Amino acid sequence: MNELVSVPSKKMGRFRTRRTINKLMLGLISAVSLSIFSLILALLYTIVRKGLPDIDVHFLVGLPEEIDAGGGIGPFLWNSLYILFLSLFLSLPIGIGAGIFLAEYAPRTRSMEWVRGAIESLASVPSIVFGLFGYALFVEYFQIGVTILGAAVTLALLNLPVLARVTEEAVTAVPSTWPEASFALGATKTQTILKTVLPAAARGIVTGVSLVACRAFGESAIILLVGGTSASGEMWDFHLLSEGATLPVHLWYIQSEALVADAQEIAQKTSALLVVIVLLLSFAIRFPLWLTQRKKPR
Amino acid sequence: MEKLSPDWTDATNLLTARRQSRWAAKYAADRFFRFLCLGSIIFLGAVLGAIVLFVSETGFLVFRDVSLWEFFFSSRWDPEHGKYGAAVFIAGTLYLTLVTLLIATPISICVAVFIAEIAPPWLRQWLRTLLDLLVGIPSIVYGYLGATLLIPWIREHTGAPVGDGFLAAAIVLSIMILPTITRITDDALCAVPNEWREANYALGGTTFQMIVRVVLPAAKSGIAAAVILGMARAIGETMAVVMVIGNVAQFGFDLVTPTSVLTSHIVMQILNVDFQSTTNHALYMMAFLLLLISISLIMAIRRLRLKGGQ
Amino acid sequence: MKRTTLWKRMAAAVLSSALLIGAAFTTQHRADAAEVSGKIVIAGSTALLPLTQQAAKEFKKSHPKVKIVVSGSSSIAGPQSVAKGVATIGACDWDATRAVGGFPAYKGLKAYKIAKIPFAVIVNKNNSVDNLSVQQIQDIYEGKITNWKQVGGKDEEIVVINRAKGSGTRVNFEDKIMDGHAIKTSGDNYKEVQKSGDMVNAVSSNPNAIGFVDLAYVKGGIKAVSINGVKATTANAASGKYVFYGYGYLLTKGEAKGADKAFINYILSKKFQNGSLKKLKFIPVK
Repeated sequence: MNELVSVPSKKMGRFRTRRTINKLMLGLISAVSLSIFSLILALLYTIVRKGLPDIDVHFLVGLPEEIDAGGGIGPFLWNSLYILFLSLFLSLPIGIGAGIFLAEYAPRTRSMEWVRGAIESLASVPSIVFGLFGYALFVEYFQIGVTILGAAVTLALLNLPVLARVTEEAVTAVPSTWPEASFALGATKTQTILKTVLPAAARGIVTGVSLVACRAFGESAIILLVGGTSASGEMWDFHLLSEGATLPVHLWYIQSEALVADAQEIAQKTSALLVVIVLLLSFAIRFPLWLTQRKKPR
Repeated sequence: MEKLSPDWTDATNLLTARRQSRWAAKYAADRFFRFLCLGSIIFLGAVLGAIVLFVSETGFLVFRDVSLWEFFFSSRWDPEHGKYGAAVFIAGTLYLTLVTLLIATPISICVAVFIAEIAPPWLRQWLRTLLDLLVGIPSIVYGYLGATLLIPWIREHTGAPVGDGFLAAAIVLSIMILPTITRITDDALCAVPNEWREANYALGGTTFQMIVRVVLPAAKSGIAAAVILGMARAIGETMAVVMVIGNVAQFGFDLVTPTSVLTSHIVMQILNVDFQSTTNHALYMMAFLLLLISISLIMAIRRLRLKGGQ
Repeated sequence: MKRTTLWKRMAAAVLSSALLIGAAFTTQHRADAAEVSGKIVIAGSTALLPLTQQAAKEFKKSHPKVKIVVSGSSSIAGPQSVAKGVATIGACDWDATRAVGGFPAYKGLKAYKIAKIPFAVIVNKNNSVDNLSVQQIQDIYEGKITNWKQVGGKDEEIVVINRAKGSGTRVNFEDKIMDGHAIKTSGDNYKEVQKSGDMVNAVSSNPNAIGFVDLAYVKGGIKAVSINGVKATTANAASGKYVFYGYGYLLTKGEAKGADKAFINYILSKKFQNGSLKKLKFIPVK
């Protein structure tokens, strides 16, 4: 028995070193990560602490005031959600469709590689460039002024490259055995993609949608140029051609120019509200996926 | 045309008309779906092409009044006296991106490894949600917090009179792109099959060895994509950077001197200039440069990825 | 399979009801629009935005048939938008029919002076300096005076904060205070900010900073210095004793007509000038 288990001391030493390194490095990684998370929590706490407790229903649905305290952010909140919904409605099908094409139909030739690279780099165009394009297109060329429609379309354009890229990555990560099995069973390419590949890539795609939606919700430069700095002054305004200022733009306005007496409080409440809504948004996007994947491990 | 063999014609005759039409419909649907996807990418390409054209068209007008040499290599930006040297901003963008990536990449990968490999399963979803919250905080809130909390902190610890500069911007940007890099790296790590991890343990490897020798190399492509997307976000970020960088047309190499980059300069000036003026053309040219810089950086990294992939 | 069908049905129901509700509201809005008898589009300075938005709110109450769209981006966008026809009224912090501060003159526009705006040179609340002469302010911004002790304060380096080129506040600062002297726009003690609110934040978070802003923003962590011994108050600015003030203008293409004219008349009316305008800390022009 002893012969089988005896290990030369040199090997034993190396083993112990490896174990110590293992413990050290894992500890280091954990320490760094935990401090980052504490930093994030501290950041969120700072933002939310001052604003959240004071939010009431009147703040959420009331109209804004210029001079007197007590105004609300109703129209801006409504615009934010409406524009987000519209821009996702426009960008999701096109972005995911483009990503599927890149992953499944496009050959790996030089020119397609160039296209992929172009899309990836266009994901880094500063939002203000999209804002200028939207301004030139909707405000000057079509002459419709600053509108919800213009803001939603420009926002959709901003998110298209990222969606396409993330979808492509997610779809290529699906092991090739799965679609092969689907073909073996006689499915067409479309059926394979819709019923096998996409659900498998769902996790990655949902990550992309979540990132894109949260970014779109907090976007200010584009909305400022194409949607304007004011809302139409009515709640529940569905009209696509009304002014389209959103919550982040209103926050910017409050912090930059507002003279109203309680500007500080409104700014704090708005920041806190933004954080809370993003949390809810992130949950709402992941919820269907969480439900269907609850039974799987990991 | 040769005569079809009798076996084949018999076989097709066996297919009832209903089966034949269903079969045809399936393949029509298949072609239609492919057409939709193709249409999507063509639309995407067309729109993005239009944006590039628009920016470059206005941007190239600047060379009517300014020489190529002056624009790219002169570091004197003084529109009032007819000087349009953009070298400071170009160098600034590159330098800021470098510093940001140096700070953000190791930390993001560290956190992603923690979430995917070390954290207990019940904690994972909470950590991921926590990161998602960071994404939704609007850039102006980051800018505001940076200006009111971070900059005084930097002033205290470095003795600089103002505090704005590359360091402040890099720290703010790192926090902003952390979720992007971490989440996509996290997904890439999770996509590595479990069998590979088990194989490592079977061969007597430690967890750290597994991470470094098995999982990270396997997820290399996803990690590269994550870093690229994070870098893309950092290069293009405007509102947060403009509040902590100082906005002075000089190159603040020591990280705590007020300085300027392409994005912050564009956003400071763009609403205040006449559309037909040389300054406006210069700003559009800078926007076009941003496009070129990101395209070349991303192409370079893609080529590295393809080469080292095997 | 059952669960996905349930999700599909729910999604379809939500989507169709949303579309139905949306269609109903849209038709209603469009019907109202057919009766509207005038549309005013105001664009331009964000410094005048509180004024124009408040005026628009009050104007809509007495003229329910007029549609007013107010937005703000920068002073120069006011005359530019009007000249292009994108807006009907432009708000600007200077008289854009003349060439001011390096910007071209916009011929063909008519300027209406609607408010007198008092400004202030600000320092941090904890700064011991309370009074500066115009000469001292000029020297500080030119870079000739670099330490607070040279003007009676602590032995600390002065941090000079400026607004971006194109800011109406800066145009008025260069006009009324700098008077032709050039501001030193470089160095490691100099920075520029975008908006008035950013200026306030920058000066309140740096004990050694100096800047300038509309008097209406002076509160909290900043204080206004007296200039040449004259305190920075609305009364002193109205009487002319205090030198740092400017005017806000509304511009139209040619003479103002119809709804635009009615709106400008409302802003120039005694009721608005002595009421909301004063409450917003501007000074009436009539």
